[in-house]
Amino acid sequence: MRVLLVEDDPDLAEDVARALTAAGFVVDRSGNGEDAWFQGDVEDYALVILDLGLPRLDGLTILKRWRSAGRTMPVLILTARGDWTEKVEGIEAGADDYMAKPFAVGELIARARALVRRAAGHATATLKVGELAIDTARMTASIGGRQTQLSQLEYRLLNFLGHEQDRVVSAGEIAEHLYGASDGQDTNAVEAIVTRLRRKLGSRAIETRRGLGYLLTGQIE
Amino acid sequence: MKRSSLRLRLLLGAAIAVFLALALAWGGISLLIHQHIETREAAQLRSVAERVVAGLTLDAAGKPMIDPAPSDAAFQAIAGGTYWQAIGPGGSAQSPSLWDQSLPEAAASGDDWTTATVPGPFGKQLTMVSRRIQPDRRARDVIVRVAADDSEMRDALREFDAELALSLAFLWVVLSLAAYFQVSLGLRPLDRLRRELDRLRRSPAARLSDNHPAEILPLTEAINAMAAARESDLARARRRAADLAHSLKTPLAVVAAQSRRARDEGATSAAEGIDRAVTAVGAALEAELARSRAAAARGSGGESNPSEVADGLISVIERTEKGEQIAFSADLASNLRLAVDSSDLAEMLGALIENASRHARRHVAVSGDLEDGAIVLRVEDDGPGMEDAAITRAMERGVRIDETGGGHGFGLAIVRDLAEATEGEFRLGRSKLGGLSAELRWQSD
Repeated sequence: MRVLLVEDDPDLAEDVARALTAAGFVVDRSGNGEDAWFQGDVEDYALVILDLGLPRLDGLTILKRWRSAGRTMPVLILTARGDWTEKVEGIEAGADDYMAKPFAVGELIARARALVRRAAGHATATLKVGELAIDTARMTASIGGRQTQLSQLEYRLLNFLGHEQDRVVSAGEIAEHLYGASDGQDTNAVEAIVTRLRRKLGSRAIETRRGLGYLLTGQIE
Repeated sequence: MKRSSLRLRLLLGAAIAVFLALALAWGGISLLIHQHIETREAAQLRSVAERVVAGLTLDAAGKPMIDPAPSDAAFQAIAGGTYWQAIGPGGSAQSPSLWDQSLPEAAASGDDWTTATVPGPFGKQLTMVSRRIQPDRRARDVIVRVAADDSEMRDALREFDAELALSLAFLWVVLSLAAYFQVSLGLRPLDRLRRELDRLRRSPAARLSDNHPAEILPLTEAINAMAAARESDLARARRRAADLAHSLKTPLAVVAAQSRRARDEGATSAAEGIDRAVTAVGAALEAELARSRAAAARGSGGESNPSEVADGLISVIERTEKGEQIAFSADLASNLRLAVDSSDLAEMLGALIENASRHARRHVAVSGDLEDGAIVLRVEDDGPGMEDAAITRAMERGVRIDETGGGHGFGLAIVRDLAEATEGEFRLGRSKLGGLSAELRWQSD
């Protein structure tokens, strides 16, 4: 598995590269923004580890350029500032995970493995319900052609409803699917997830049948 | 009022000055009135005396005779209060009112009437005019004296003096009160200055207003210049601390990586020591950054949309290992606006949402609304919540961020400091979801 490591501090890059290699990755290294952008644009990587503070071209700009060019490889960003605004900016620019410096290299390896597994582990498959398309490989959804990022829970709920097409599913049933064993309180959590999904997909995509449960229609407003 | 009080000094000065001026006025007015009354009295006596002189002749024996004698009733009654007497070389003539008494000796000139105050007969004090007259060229001088009892006039003058003193004392009280009001009014700008200085002491970004009276304007301008210098020094120091903290993070990551290598090569205990040191330094850096952020947030202004900030944060936190298992709900009005910088709000809400997701079972609810003119943001979870004692300890003032160590208390201390710096309130309580409810409240103006 090829990994692009973009980090301008040579000592840190050396150590992370060594650990990645030991974990079975093939590592390409880049020390400045412009080279990194070019490499990520033309080569196929299973994962990019991207420091945000880079000479010549900053990490956030590189990430935005890749995403707008349709590059979909998972990206893990490294930040020195570590404040919430930067994390939000990173995720909104298309990062899949972030780590704040100083970090434990072991945790970095674990996260890198999880990202690679998530991106490659699923067979490409699309589940269609009305105008809604659920991408089970990338755990994303699109409605009327508009892409939406989903959290893990949102994806799992949507996927469950998608597999129960044309059937009204009760909140208790959903809770049991999401959490295994369930108690009465969990329906609050289910309601919260449905509310968030409606905000992302439109209010008519999931209908509420009072007293019975939810029905996935995939309708556009 | 202290002894060195400006107010007391001005008031005492005014009271003493007014008192001296009024005392002087009292003396002057009294003197003028006395002189005026006495001159009039003397003039009246002189006109009577001229009448006596007009009727003055000497008989052969040299005894003066007055014909016609003044016929006023006061000259007829014994001890009537008005008297005349002419003393010649051969005897004397006098008004019936003198009876067998005589007017006292007094210096008398030949040129004009001499006025004097003398002790008279019947135990009375008299005003007397006297003159030496030569009725004809051969005769010897005759001394003519006319006197009147002036005790009534003196009583009236004494009464006048007392009344004048009383009214001037009243005037003194009125003028002193006026001075008090004048001083209070004049010193009022200093009170405002004191309040503004108090604010300046609390917030380095505050300044004294520029509409003070011209007399203290140079002072306020100098203070403002000093405050600006202090603020920029402070900002520079904080920037340096923050830069230093940031620049240490990458080398720290290198050290952390070295510890891993040491562990791989079998130096486990050395690696553990390095890890502990890296954790401690990292915590100290985070604490310093949080402190400089709180300081920078003080009076920095800005505006944020809590709904957008919360959505962004949730999209980050739901990617974390713990956050993936949690259902987040965000119920914030999208038109809610808060006068706090977006990144500061993100630090507060981020720490609270992350903390909530760490302790929640299934559900974290973020809500925001206007309540009684205040913007209230709440982060609630359905976890075990915190004991009241733990809440009190977490909210205790003076518990510094770096003293609480990592994790739970660290995040809450950051929130508390930032909330204080942005003039908000931070409270912890029990949520209706069953867990902890963290509430941020800003009075909206």
